[in-house]
Amino acid sequence: MARTVIMGAGIAGHTAALHLRRMLGREHEVVVVSPNSQWNWIPSNIWVGVGQMSVKQVTFPLAPVYRRTGIEFHQAFATELHGAGGATSEQPYVSVRYTDPARQGEVAELAYDYLINATGPKLNFGATPGLGPNGYTWSVCTAGHATEAAKGFDAVVQKLKAGEHQTLLIGMGHGTCTCQGAAFEYTFNIEHELVKEGVRDKADVIYITNEEHLGDFGMDGMNFGYKGGITTSEDFTSSLFRERGVTAIMSAHVESVEPGVVHYEQVDGSKGEQPFDFAMLLPPFRGADLTAFDRDGLDITAQVFAPSGFMKVDADYEAKPYEEWKASDWPRTYQSVQYDNVWAAGIAFAPPHQMSRPRTSPNGTVIAPAPPRTGMPSGVIGRAVAQTIAGRIKHGSSARVHTASMADMGAACIASAGKGWRTGQAAAMTVFPIIPDKAKYGEAGRDTKQTYGEIGLSAHWMKVMLHYLFIYKAKARPLWHLIPE
Amino acid sequence: MSNIRTFSDARLPTDNEVRARRNLLVQFWRFAVLNTKMIVMVTRGHH
Repeated sequence: MARTVIMGAGIAGHTAALHLRRMLGREHEVVVVSPNSQWNWIPSNIWVGVGQMSVKQVTFPLAPVYRRTGIEFHQAFATELHGAGGATSEQPYVSVRYTDPARQGEVAELAYDYLINATGPKLNFGATPGLGPNGYTWSVCTAGHATEAAKGFDAVVQKLKAGEHQTLLIGMGHGTCTCQGAAFEYTFNIEHELVKEGVRDKADVIYITNEEHLGDFGMDGMNFGYKGGITTSEDFTSSLFRERGVTAIMSAHVESVEPGVVHYEQVDGSKGEQPFDFAMLLPPFRGADLTAFDRDGLDITAQVFAPSGFMKVDADYEAKPYEEWKASDWPRTYQSVQYDNVWAAGIAFAPPHQMSRPRTSPNGTVIAPAPPRTGMPSGVIGRAVAQTIAGRIKHGSSARVHTASMADMGAACIASAGKGWRTGQAAAMTVFPIIPDKAKYGEAGRDTKQTYGEIGLSAHWMKVMLHYLFIYKAKARPLWHLIPE
Repeated sequence: MSNIRTFSDARLPTDNEVRARRNLLVQFWRFAVLNTKMIVMVTRGHH
């Protein structure tokens, strides 16, 4: 009998848990620890944030799914990792603190034979004074945040209808943010709703970003195969901004937010401020702040985790300049550098470096988009790690190690630009590989036949289809495993 | 306002492109093409 504990029930953790449960007999235990009682299809939060979907449409309770599939569920935070056991036993364990209302605040130790760290990101609103729902800006990072953002947006629409001018500021709340795609989507959904409400002419919509160019998306931009030729994601994206009359503040690090005004620094060292009536700014991410201990109780967090709080895995973490970055720097197995029975899946692994060229202002401020790890690679990594563990449990240490390098993997991103069966728009983008590989694909870094962008109503239908498909899959409905990640 | 970029030199879609983005027949076809592209992408990414 083997016991696998999975910390986190987001896309990577939940995918890994369901696949492990499917691949292993009932004599083996699969245990999920997550502070959230609900599963959230995060890509649709942007529609919650403009009042076009409810929280109920993008979430469902995890406990019934886990009960039905035979997965043990603990609604709790993982706080400590004891990978070599403790004073009385060599059995490794994680310490958890319950968020389950029935056991609120209780602490427990969960022993494991195999561990998957899929804790995802901590939303680090504290990195920028005044940022976030406890400050002066909205967020769409969680379904709850998005609901509040929708209320704020509705209030703005009412003021616009009353004839007031309003400035809406959307984008990145720090120089090291990632998830530019989500901010891009929210910007254009806001713009779309303003047009629908007949108040677009009274509003300024401004995008603020740490990207050097539009279309960078934290991926160093892309060269798209387009109508038989090549175009850049910058041209593709700039065209949409011009068409919709959205302006932007580029290469910006938001230093602080005060009521109605954002203070920022740009990469040339200049400082600026932007007044706003409504701001949705994403926070930077960091790891889940787990502490690791050896058997004697010594703190070995720095050996197990990067300073960012993400777990160090089989990547090349040697610091080197942008020109020397290679696709092979990125991890393949996601196995911990410290323990051979621990893996980090999805956002929880520490990337070796950014994908976009990092820049520093003359004042020493780092303005460097962090690399995105979207749903598709998170799911693929979660499944690969589950396959490796299932193989290890069934066949021993000689079992095949499954790999899922982002340098060998493509990703599809559907960026909504407005919801509506006949009036909706979205930008569909595919990219292969996710990590640019100039040695293999030349200066473009990617396969320009597989890297592609298109705007249209059909891409909106795709996003709606993926919404229902992935929620069906996450609910482990019949034949769920046939739906790819 | 000088820090705010307007992208006034970006290419605007032609009228035909704008119409095609909303034309149901064209978009049903593009939906099929997009699905095929995604399936190829997913197949290449799953080992």
